[in-house]
Amino acid sequence: MTTPNKTPPGADPKQLERTGTVREIGSQAVWSLSSCKPGFGVDQLRDDNLETYWQSDGSQPHLVNIQFRRKTTVKTLCIYADYKSDESYTPSKISVRVGNNFHNLQEIRQLELVEPSGWIHVPLTDTHKKPIRTFMIQIAVLANHQNGRDTHMRQIKVYTPVEESSIGKFPRCTTIDFMMYRTIR
Amino acid sequence: LLVLQAAIWQALNHYAYRDAVFLAERLYAEVHSEEALFLLATCYYRSGKAYKAYRLLKGHSCTTPQCKYLLAKCCVDLSKLAEGEQILSGGVLNKQKSHDDIVMEFGDSACFTLSLLGHVYCKTDRLAKGSECYQKSLSLNPFLWSPFESLCEIGEKPDPDQTFKLTSLQNFSSCLPNTCTTLVSNHSISHRQPETVLMETPQDTIELNRINLESSNSKYSSLNTDSSVSYIDPAVISPDSLGSGTAMFSKPPQNKPKTGRSLLGGPAALTPLTPSFGILPLDTPSPGDGSYLQNYTNSSSVIDVPATGAPSKKAVSRISQAGTKSVFSQSGNSREVTPIFAQTQSSGPQTSTTPQVLSPTIAAPPNALPRRSSRLFTSDSSTTKENSKKLKMKFPPKIPNRKTKSKTNKGGITQPNINDSLEITKLDSSIISEGKISTVTPQIQAFTLQKAAAEGLMSLLRDMGKGYLALCSYNCKEAISILSHLPSHHYNTGWVLCQIGRAYFELAEYMQAERIFSEVRRIENYRVEGMEIYSTTLWHLQKDVALSVLSKDLTDMDKNSPEAWCAAGNCFSLQREHDIAIKFFQRAIQVDPNYAYAYTLLGHEFVLTEELDKALACFRNAIRVNPRHYNAWYGLGMIYYKQEKFSLAEMHFQKALDINPQSSVLLCHIGVVQHALKKSEKALDTLNKAINIDPKNPLCKFHRASVLFANEKYKSALQELEELKQIVPKESLVYFLIGKVYKKLGQTHLALMNFSWAMDLDPKGANNQIKEAIDKRYLPDDEEPITQEEQISESGTDESQESSMTDADDTQLHAVESDEF
Repeated sequence: MTTPNKTPPGADPKQLERTGTVREIGSQAVWSLSSCKPGFGVDQLRDDNLETYWQSDGSQPHLVNIQFRRKTTVKTLCIYADYKSDESYTPSKISVRVGNNFHNLQEIRQLELVEPSGWIHVPLTDTHKKPIRTFMIQIAVLANHQNGRDTHMRQIKVYTPVEESSIGKFPRCTTIDFMMYRTIR
Repeated sequence: LLVLQAAIWQALNHYAYRDAVFLAERLYAEVHSEEALFLLATCYYRSGKAYKAYRLLKGHSCTTPQCKYLLAKCCVDLSKLAEGEQILSGGVLNKQKSHDDIVMEFGDSACFTLSLLGHVYCKTDRLAKGSECYQKSLSLNPFLWSPFESLCEIGEKPDPDQTFKLTSLQNFSSCLPNTCTTLVSNHSISHRQPETVLMETPQDTIELNRINLESSNSKYSSLNTDSSVSYIDPAVISPDSLGSGTAMFSKPPQNKPKTGRSLLGGPAALTPLTPSFGILPLDTPSPGDGSYLQNYTNSSSVIDVPATGAPSKKAVSRISQAGTKSVFSQSGNSREVTPIFAQTQSSGPQTSTTPQVLSPTIAAPPNALPRRSSRLFTSDSSTTKENSKKLKMKFPPKIPNRKTKSKTNKGGITQPNINDSLEITKLDSSIISEGKISTVTPQIQAFTLQKAAAEGLMSLLRDMGKGYLALCSYNCKEAISILSHLPSHHYNTGWVLCQIGRAYFELAEYMQAERIFSEVRRIENYRVEGMEIYSTTLWHLQKDVALSVLSKDLTDMDKNSPEAWCAAGNCFSLQREHDIAIKFFQRAIQVDPNYAYAYTLLGHEFVLTEELDKALACFRNAIRVNPRHYNAWYGLGMIYYKQEKFSLAEMHFQKALDINPQSSVLLCHIGVVQHALKKSEKALDTLNKAINIDPKNPLCKFHRASVLFANEKYKSALQELEELKQIVPKESLVYFLIGKVYKKLGQTHLALMNFSWAMDLDPKGANNQIKEAIDKRYLPDDEEPITQEEQISESGTDESQESSMTDADDTQLHAVESDEF
């Protein structure tokens, strides 16, 4: 209790993708930031490169807004944060809010990070433990380590559960014998 | 000028396009004749610059049939279909020529003209007219495969027996380039046409042998000084007489030996290299001598061709071919490769020398069959230049005419005459080199031989035609059996094996298909056609390493082929990198916008990335390109199914089924859709049909069980599932469904057991449905279920855990699928 445990790093989301159970859908959304330093904006946040990052340039809370064209099921959010490289820019308190638009947001999750050093997986579920369906997600950085003003965020990924592609509402099949016959390609 | 022409043809024959183009430009500048124009355009076209040929021909008047044909071909290549059509048949607005008009106008090249016209019609949605053109083209020249193939693909069912037969001599002669005959202008060459055909008939292996007559001719000419034979005009032969040569060579080029099959030996003395076809002894002096040149191999080695027999029987009397002998000797030395036994009927220049080369064993020839060696058809002796007139050779047949340069008479260039028959790679067509027959008897003999060889070819084509037709109508089992009965040397070729592989693929027998395709890769690793099916087969089998190797190899080899990019896209799709896969499929489309399968695969990728609108557009594009592409109809059906528009889905699946009635996967899908539409009886019928067609398809049984379950026929469902358990013991879905059945039956203990097995078998543990099913079962209870669930579920992560989830598993556990059953 006295010394909070450091937040352990999560698995690389790429591995998640390879399981075939989730799919990254950030490309289907419109991303916007509350503020950013020139050259350190949305592109750097979404470029699949952990070296580049978004640097905010305003007052707290810093916001990342993700807006979808249609109501989308979102299962997980993955954020990459690294205390060693970002120090006081590393976020320490993050609030995740969802809703239909800017005026309709509701916080569904709050995370406390303690010297994170990798990927952080944030599952987004509603009260029934199912992935949320929403038009918009807002990630708010409420506080940084060492009380830093601005924040760095290196990468954010949004995952949706993969629908079953075979017909019939069954869970996915597990053997190749079944999968071979599942579809005509 | 004739010298210049000869030089140009020679350059063309040697693929020295820069030289050819340069000289042709000078010739045209010198003489603005249409012949020169045609020659220049041909040089451009052959060097791969169709646009140059197009603009050149457009800028000047083209009245000769050759020019028109070449211009039309350029138009089609450049996708200017309307223009091409107009040139060939008068266009949409003007009065169109009838087929007979076309035949009259284009003469020997009418078959190719009609084939091209048919292609234009089919691409512009006038399938009936297109098919008519193809039919006519085939009736004019049964050696053409591509009209037959196109007919099968558009859904017509041409009868191979009717199509591939030699109806009359007339036909025969018209198909083959007359060039052979021409030569001898003086002599009444009986027909050049029939090149010496190998009689291989029985086996169908007919080698087309292009004996380069020309070369031989040339040689002959030089060789034969005496030219005793009247046949060959010494002039013709003599290199010096280029002019005459031209005459000689100008064999009636008309036909464009597209298929390259018919290669008529060049003028006069074509001494057929030893094609597998029978060889006619060429003995100028007197037909009487019976030297039969039955087979002679150019190279010293005599090839023995398995005697298929027929030809040999005929004693080939000599056809007095001048020079053949000499040619042979020449060629003999020339090593060449595939020594082709040719029954040289060609009237080579007669040389008095008896061919030493020939190893005239009468017996020998017969078997010469299938020497698949390069069949060259020299027919066109066009070779060379002369052909200019009529030759519309589309293919750069290597016209072996070296004639003009025959001065030097290098030995054995004859070999070079071997042109590849493009299509012939698969088929051995017997090429008959025409020989001039000095005497009637030999002539007739030669002719008969040729005919026999051609018959052999026809028989082969018939069988292959039947197999291909069966495949296009998706009678896959039949196709496989027909094609398996081809002689083994034909069977073990890329084309045949690819068709068989595709047949297995359509039957969903992916293991077999993979085996066959890997054989294709082994024997013909330069083949790209058909590799897209191989890549999809590997995708189904989830063999990512093999698929990755295949795609790398193909893309390294040919970046301009859509098949290679399709394979690459499939590879990344298997790795679930859908964005990259999409990129590659789009590249395949860029490389060839008329390749339907690329659109279909792209559509499937869009479905996987949930971009259903784009997917719909892609599938529709695929259908636009090829209305018989049943995979695209299936894709549309799937999209509608996902969008829950079940009747639309059923309609599209049904359309796909109409095209391919024996696909058990399709039937299975239709059954499920029908069930969704509440037509459970029909659904069961359909599923039963599917199981009958392919008892190995486990999904059909599974869906049948689920339909039975939905209809509360628990016992039968259980029975079905038990059988399925035996077939595929590791499939978690099976246990899952069994669990549900037991749950309904109230046997909770068994249900739970099966659910837990299902969860165990599910490696990623991601099947939240299973968890939910267990969960729901316990819904009424409160804490109990949770503990139960915790026990059953893998790690004990629970909701209360703080934000950062470190484990992927945790994620899964938290996110519960909302799918309801």
